[in-house]
Amino acid sequence: MGHTTLDKIKALQKNPANIRNLCILAHVDHGKTTLADCLVASNGIISSRLAGKLRYLDSREDEQIRGITMKSSAISLHYASGKTDYLINLIDSPGHVDFSSEVSTAVRLCDGAIIMVDAVEGVCPQTQAVLRQAWLENIRPVLVINKMDRLIMELKFTSQEAYTHLQKILEQVNAVTGSLFTSKVLEERADKEKEKDKEKEKEKEDIDPMGCSGSEQVYDWSAGLEDSDDSQLYFSPDQGNVVFASATDGWGFSIQQFANIYSQKMGIRGEVLRKTLWGDFYLHAKAKKIMKGTKGKKPLFVQLVLDNIWSLYDAVVTRRDQDKVEKMMLSLGVKVMARDSRHSDPKVLLSAICGQWLPVSQAVLSMVCEKLPSPLDMTSERIEKLMSVGARRFDSLPTQTQELKTAFMQCSCEDTAPVIVFVSKMITVDAKSLPQNKQRPLTQEEITQRRELARQRHAERQATSQQTAPAHISLSLCIPHSLQMQALTVAAKPEDEGKQIFVAFARVYSGVVRRGQRVFVLGPKYNPAQGLRVLPEGSTSMTGSLPPVPHLACCTLDSLYLLMGRELEDLEEVPPGNVLGIGGLEECVLKSATLSTSPALPPFIPLNFEATPIVRVAIEPKHPSEMPKLVRGMRLLNQADPCAEVLIQETGEHVLVTAGEVHLQRCLDDLRERFAKIKISVSKPIIPFRETVVKPPKVDMVNEDLGKQQKVAVIHQVKESDTLHLDPSGLVTLTTPNRQATVGVRAVPLPEEVPLLLEGSADLIRTLEQAGQAQRDGRFLDMSPRTHDALLGLKSKLEGLLQGRKWRNAVDRIWAFGPRRHGPNILLNSVEGYQRPSVWHCLERDKGEKDGDNAIRDFDNSIVSGFQLATLSGPMCEEPLMGVCFSVERWEMNFPIQRTHLDSVGDEDSNSHDQRRHEDIGAGVVDCYGPFSGQLIAAVKEACRHAFQAKPQRLMAAMYTCEIMATAEVLGRVYGVLGKREGRVLQEEMKEGTDMFIIKAVLPVAESFGFADEIRKRTSGLASPQLVFSHWEVIGSDPFWVPTTEEEYLHFGEKADSANQALKYMNAVRRRKGLYVEEKIVEHGEKQRTLGKNK
Amino acid sequence: MSIFTPTNQIRLTNVAVVRMKKGGKRFEIACYKNKVISWRSGAEKDLDEVLQTSSVFNNVSKGQVAKKDDLSKAFGTDDLTEICKQILAKGELQVSDKERQSQLETSYRDIATIVAEKCVNPETKRPYTVNLIERAMKDIHYSVKPNKSTKQQALEVIRQLKDSMEIQRAHMRLRLVLPAKDGKRLKEKLKPLIKVMESEDFDDQLEMVCLVDPGCYREMDELIRCETKGKGSLEVLSLKDVEEGDERLE
Repeated sequence: MGHTTLDKIKALQKNPANIRNLCILAHVDHGKTTLADCLVASNGIISSRLAGKLRYLDSREDEQIRGITMKSSAISLHYASGKTDYLINLIDSPGHVDFSSEVSTAVRLCDGAIIMVDAVEGVCPQTQAVLRQAWLENIRPVLVINKMDRLIMELKFTSQEAYTHLQKILEQVNAVTGSLFTSKVLEERADKEKEKDKEKEKEKEDIDPMGCSGSEQVYDWSAGLEDSDDSQLYFSPDQGNVVFASATDGWGFSIQQFANIYSQKMGIRGEVLRKTLWGDFYLHAKAKKIMKGTKGKKPLFVQLVLDNIWSLYDAVVTRRDQDKVEKMMLSLGVKVMARDSRHSDPKVLLSAICGQWLPVSQAVLSMVCEKLPSPLDMTSERIEKLMSVGARRFDSLPTQTQELKTAFMQCSCEDTAPVIVFVSKMITVDAKSLPQNKQRPLTQEEITQRRELARQRHAERQATSQQTAPAHISLSLCIPHSLQMQALTVAAKPEDEGKQIFVAFARVYSGVVRRGQRVFVLGPKYNPAQGLRVLPEGSTSMTGSLPPVPHLACCTLDSLYLLMGRELEDLEEVPPGNVLGIGGLEECVLKSATLSTSPALPPFIPLNFEATPIVRVAIEPKHPSEMPKLVRGMRLLNQADPCAEVLIQETGEHVLVTAGEVHLQRCLDDLRERFAKIKISVSKPIIPFRETVVKPPKVDMVNEDLGKQQKVAVIHQVKESDTLHLDPSGLVTLTTPNRQATVGVRAVPLPEEVPLLLEGSADLIRTLEQAGQAQRDGRFLDMSPRTHDALLGLKSKLEGLLQGRKWRNAVDRIWAFGPRRHGPNILLNSVEGYQRPSVWHCLERDKGEKDGDNAIRDFDNSIVSGFQLATLSGPMCEEPLMGVCFSVERWEMNFPIQRTHLDSVGDEDSNSHDQRRHEDIGAGVVDCYGPFSGQLIAAVKEACRHAFQAKPQRLMAAMYTCEIMATAEVLGRVYGVLGKREGRVLQEEMKEGTDMFIIKAVLPVAESFGFADEIRKRTSGLASPQLVFSHWEVIGSDPFWVPTTEEEYLHFGEKADSANQALKYMNAVRRRKGLYVEEKIVEHGEKQRTLGKNK
Repeated sequence: MSIFTPTNQIRLTNVAVVRMKKGGKRFEIACYKNKVISWRSGAEKDLDEVLQTSSVFNNVSKGQVAKKDDLSKAFGTDDLTEICKQILAKGELQVSDKERQSQLETSYRDIATIVAEKCVNPETKRPYTVNLIERAMKDIHYSVKPNKSTKQQALEVIRQLKDSMEIQRAHMRLRLVLPAKDGKRLKEKLKPLIKVMESEDFDDQLEMVCLVDPGCYREMDELIRCETKGKGSLEVLSLKDVEEGDERLE
């Protein structure tokens, strides 16, 4: 078949009935791209000799090197069956689990799918996954059983064995489909049982007849499993939806082809043969009849189909019997070129014969054209599903929206039809390869023109050499012009060099898309009801200025492309039902979007991704000055990849989250070579910790009762100095270096729920803080009644949580929250006789400010600052504190001289009084220790730290909740991995109607690096975890623990060097931060390398 | 005195000598390499892991053991373990290779941590990671000076890094309240110190919220205190002006 021209394809695009949009789905390495190669070769785009080796659609370099597909890519093919011409929009998809997001983007744009299964390996995890994906998107699948040659050459099966093997595979595939079907029916029934509401039941039945129109995949909603018809779902060769193939050898067949051959040869009706060629039938040779029930006899399939292929392989590859091959070729009517038949590799001859006898492209494409629906046959069920975002039901959408459904169904290419386009992903293309920048072969006229020019120039040159003077003028006219031209082209080049252009990978569902058209871009949260209300009646995207609607934007389609694998072809317009590329959308489309000329269209439901991104790494540029390039590159990557996520964390880390290790590798390659073009380094992300104190433990490490020993206090003996005192109950008193102030602080653990509550209401507390600040300045911050109520609610909740004798009136005495004034730690005012308004003060407006002891009120702020500093970084490893309450129990100030001086001034004017004191203290404090407020801050900070250390300290680790779906057989391994990584299983339950288990577990973030990958590897991809940050959890072990009791010595030994998880974490953080780590530089002094005499 | 012959001579290449002069005499002890610092910091608690032998020498390399009389005269005790502990704690020693290496590494990290804490990327207002700072320090060939404090060195590093990358000290957010009559005059004086003026409110008194370099804090404080005679006030709203929370790049 010759090369199909662009015009031909343009013509074919106009007839939606003859368009097939399909994708190839399979497990990794089952031959998707090879099959795609064969199909591409049938159009003459690549040589059929190279088909299967070239992997034409794997255009990326790393795809070619690794030999796996990493992105979905589309190509338009032409196929003529009889007199009808078909346009096949083929999308090849990756099979690796990391790229299942690419599969989702491909499946969304298609109406049908070719599911491929390796004849040897059978159904694999990804086969199940893609079947599920096809099912969820409501697209119709056909089956290709590939790699049939492996049955012959590798496994050395006889044809009979192969037949039973194939039967098994078919059963497996059908079992998966069946389970999808049953789980759907069961789910529906479960839903229904929940919905006792009878009216809704009725509604459903009302929809039902509508849904039935012209679709085979519609099930009776109200019926149970036994009533639902599932016979159309299954793959069976006699239905014509199965092809047996070997894409590498270039052959493939369906039952139909053989039925046609034999009906002519044997005079049996094709109809009958088609029904009986697969299954339990045999040929009764004498009676020339086909009988049912093969007992020891060869089934028809083996006798008529497999045996022939087996003998061909035997003759060509195994025995290399030249005569027999000649004979066979003659009987098959195949002619092979001499160089093929003489080739030393028998495979070449084989594929040459098979390519003519049973071309795989013919078998697959004819099946596709017959069995898969055209864009016109889109089921209304699928349309409704696409259009009903979230839990919204289709019939709750506005009527105008519902009318759009008919546009979908008709798929009409009239001008009045609304344009509906869905962009499933953005692909990047080198600017060089865009059609407008590409070098085109010169047309005949251009060539002659150039030749003419060259000839002229040559003549001129000759003329000048002969007579210099007169020609001089013409030369000067000619040369500058050509020079200019050169300069122009040179200038244009570096600009385009390596620039990445985004092209949207999209499909037209309705209407004709034209270049330069203006359309609405609907964001995923766009609500058509709202849009219709705001926009004037009958407004379209063509009208100029529109009132702003949330999640709605307008843009122009700059250019339209036909996707031809690696290449793009320019198009002027695209009729409905076609897959296309759209340029110029990078400003308004992030990853996927719905485009339409009608504001009534709801955005399509988001793509459902099988794998969520879980592998987190931190990325840094090798050269710190290239940071902006990295950020830009990551932005581009985010747009180009449907599944990758990028974010900047509070710590300043740039984090990339990908679906798996292979995906990560690809993203990094992309960043390095295409988007950022800088050297980058990848590391584990920084793991945050929190520090806290706990109540003294009742039992020791060997579960012996501790009694009344104050073990902790003994260990963390603080060195007492003349300014620092520690009493056994944990009260720390500290005096500033100039001895003017003394503070006493005690650290108390907060009840578990309090930090949670405080973390959750950080925003509220921030408002409270602002209000308090404003009030201190004598202003009132206007607070909405809602926040006011919310704050009162927070206060009462806190009161509810802080109960008991210890916490009496505690809530009213709260001085501040920290760190950063809204954290999960509390500063409590327990100073006797010191009245200060609590943080809640601003809630009660009526009360005026009652100043307490003014002398120390001024330094109130220093105390708070000291507390903020102390809570921002704890003594264990300089991580923030959490759930600690510092109660200030003593605060004394003595200003020996100034005080009396002040009193004499009197307080007739409190304002000047304040100022005076400021001045005095300011003057008095210019001592060797710096400003007094600074000293006080430092003193409070130190006091808090010491008070913290006087209590049993613990680290808190961030925890992920982890939801794992796993099949029963890999359950044990999942538990193994979880156990190894300190995970804890919370619950395990079986999913209704399937054999999947859902395991809920918690896992420390610190252990999560590589977790997803490990669990996938260990379970061969049958379990996939999802990690979500959930909470902070206290690590049980004390990082400073050493054995003290007799039993502990016995159990742990003197050094206690068995793994102390908390200590390990703490030291890792300290080492990272360059803090002192209590570790020996060498463990054993004697066991060091002995230096020789001369060294 | 034993006869000193090459056969019973012990090469002391693997010995760390700690020496101390007391009472006009020199005392030395023989220790294992890379152990003395651990002992001093308290990480090593086993004395036998530190000392090669518990005897005290006049000269370790010559093998001259100190005399008992000298010891008791100088230390007031003849308990060798006690004396060894004293010498270990106060004597001078040559820091061995690994000890020095780990010291340098720690202070290098410490400097990087301080820089990372104090600085932000002026474009994004987000901190740099310690790793990145460490690499940047390597790029400018910064070498740690063991006799300067890490904080001092960190400030020096920030200055040097400014040439090679986009880095800036995180600004402090301050609120200044100045009395009306000094307001204008003082504002002119403060202007060169202020980086960004966030809000300015002039009614009965001048109130400003601004971002300043933390290095200028003291200068400003002094200026305001002296010029307004204590009437103006200066309040720190936040020590570090950085973006909070995670941001998704889109």
